[in-house]
Amino acid sequence: MSKFDPWLIVEYAPHLALGAWRTIYIVVAAFLLGYAFGIVLALLSFLPGRLPRTLLTIYSVCLRSIPFIIALFIIYYGLPFFGVRLPTIYVAIVSLAVYKSAYYAEAIRGAIVALPRGQFESARAVGMSPAQAFRHVIAPQILRGLIPPSTNLTLMLIKESSVLSSIAVAELTYQGLIMQGNTYAALEVFTAVSAVYWALCSMTAWLAHRLEARSNAPQAAAIQRNRIAARYLSFERVGK
Amino acid sequence: MTVVPDVLCVEQLSKSFGALRAVDDVSLRITRGQVVGLIGASGSGKTTLLRCMTGLERHDAGYVSIEGKPFGRVSVGGVDRQQTRKEMDALRPKLGLVFQQLNLWPHLTAIENIIRPQVVVLKRSREEATAKAVQLLTTLGLSAKSSEYPYALSGGQRQRVAIARALAMDPALMLFDEPTSALDPELVGEVVALLRDLAAMGMTMVIVTHEMGFATKVSDRIVAMNAGKIIFDGKTRGADLASNRPLAGSHYT
Ligand SMILES: Nc1ncnc2c1ncn2[C@@H]1O[C@H](COP(=O)(O)OP(=O)(O)O)[C@@H](O)[C@H]1O
Ligand SMILES: [Mg+2]
Repeated sequence: MSKFDPWLIVEYAPHLALGAWRTIYIVVAAFLLGYAFGIVLALLSFLPGRLPRTLLTIYSVCLRSIPFIIALFIIYYGLPFFGVRLPTIYVAIVSLAVYKSAYYAEAIRGAIVALPRGQFESARAVGMSPAQAFRHVIAPQILRGLIPPSTNLTLMLIKESSVLSSIAVAELTYQGLIMQGNTYAALEVFTAVSAVYWALCSMTAWLAHRLEARSNAPQAAAIQRNRIAARYLSFERVGK
Repeated sequence: MTVVPDVLCVEQLSKSFGALRAVDDVSLRITRGQVVGLIGASGSGKTTLLRCMTGLERHDAGYVSIEGKPFGRVSVGGVDRQQTRKEMDALRPKLGLVFQQLNLWPHLTAIENIIRPQVVVLKRSREEATAKAVQLLTTLGLSAKSSEYPYALSGGQRQRVAIARALAMDPALMLFDEPTSALDPELVGEVVALLRDLAAMGMTMVIVTHEMGFATKVSDRIVAMNAGKIIFDGKTRGADLASNRPLAGSHYT
C-alpha cells in the first residue's frame, strides 16, 4: 500500500468542487420543494374530520419506514413505467423532496400542536379569521419551535443526498467514486469528500443557529432587562 | 321611542359533551350596564356557557343574540341554521372575553398585544390603534410596562394587558372567566377595584367565579349555576344573600 498522498486532492479539486456545487444545488432545491410539500401536508392535516390526519399518518409512515435508497429506486424506475421521463437530476430532487416532506410535515404539525390551544382561540375571540390568526399569532410562534427539528432533518437531507450517486447523479459522492476509480486512493478521496460534507453541514447548522438567535432576540433582550422574568419563564402556563 | 335591545340574550341554550349535559336549557338576558356575577361550583358549566355565548363552542340547541343580532345559530322559518364563519366573526369583537388562562400572545409586547387585533380586525390605522392602546395602558396603570413581553410581567399585570386587549375592541360586553383564579390572593382586592372601575364607566360585564364573596363585591346581579342549569338569578343589593343560599336549593328558577 502506498502512503497517504494529499497532493492527489489538489489535483482533483475541480472534481470535488463540481460535486460539491451539484450537491448544494440538489439539497437547496430538495429542501425548498420538500418543505413546501411539508407545510401543505401539515396544514391539510388540520382540516376537519379524522380523514386528513389519517391520510398524513399513512403517507408519512409509508415513507419513513423505507430507506431512502429504496424510495429513490421506486420513483426512478417507477416514473418511466407511468410514461414520465424526466432528467435524472429532477428525479433526484423530487425523490429527496418527497421523501423528506413526510418528516418535515410531521415536524411542522408537531410544532403547531405544541402551541397551547388558547393561542388560536384568543385570536379567534377578538374576531381574527382563522387565516389572520395563523398569520399573526400561530405562525410567528411555531417558527421558533420549528428551527431545531428542521435543522436536524436538513442535515440528514444533506447526507442522504449521497445516495443519489446510485442513480449516477454527478454529486459529491459520485465524484468521489469516480476519483477513487481513477486513482485507487480511496482514503485520500473519501477523507476529502468527508471534509466537504462536514463543511456543508457546519454551514447549515451555523445558518440555523443565526436564524434561531434572531427569532429569540426579543425574548433574550427582555430577560436581560428583567432577570426575575427568567424564573417566570419556566413556570409559564401551558394551558390545558 | 326606540327599544334598546339587550346587550346579550341567551334563549334555551343547551350543550352536551357526549352524555354529559354541560349546559342545560339556559336562558339569560343582560341589559346595558349590568354587572352579572355568574357563580357555581367547579364543573357546573360556567366556562362552557361562556364559550357557547362567545361562539368558541357550538351549542346543540338554543339561540344567542348580541345587541339584538343573532350570533351562531339562527332560526329561519322554523329551521335552525348555523351562521357562516364570516357572519360570526363580524360580531366577535363585540364580546370582550378575558380567558381564565389570559392567553396573551407571548411573541408580542404588551402594547402590540393590544394594537394588533385593532389593526387586523377593526382595520384601524396603526396610529389610531397605538393611541387607543396607550390610553388603555395608562388607565390601567401599565404605561411603564408597554414594551415588555408577557412573561416579563407579573400575573396581575398580564391580566390587565388581557383586559386592555379586549377593551380596545370597544366591546358591548366584557366576559371574565375566573379573574381571580390565576392570581395571588393578595391581588384579589386589586381586581375588585379594577372591575368596579369598569362598572363605573358603564361597562356591561359577566364575571364568572366560584367565590360567592368575590361575586357579591363586584356584581349587582347574581346568576348561579348547578349541573348546567341556572338555579338562582337575582339582585345582590338589598337581597339577603346569606339566607337565599342560592347554591343549596334548586327551588329558585
Ligand atoms: N371539551 C370538553 N369535552 C368534554 N367535557 C367537557 C369539555 N369541556 C367541559 N366539559 C365538562 O363539562 C362540565 C362543565 O365544565 P365547565 O363548563 O368547565 O365548568 P365550570 O367552568 O363551571 O367549572 C364539566 O363536567 C366538564 O368536565
Ligand atoms: Mg371554568
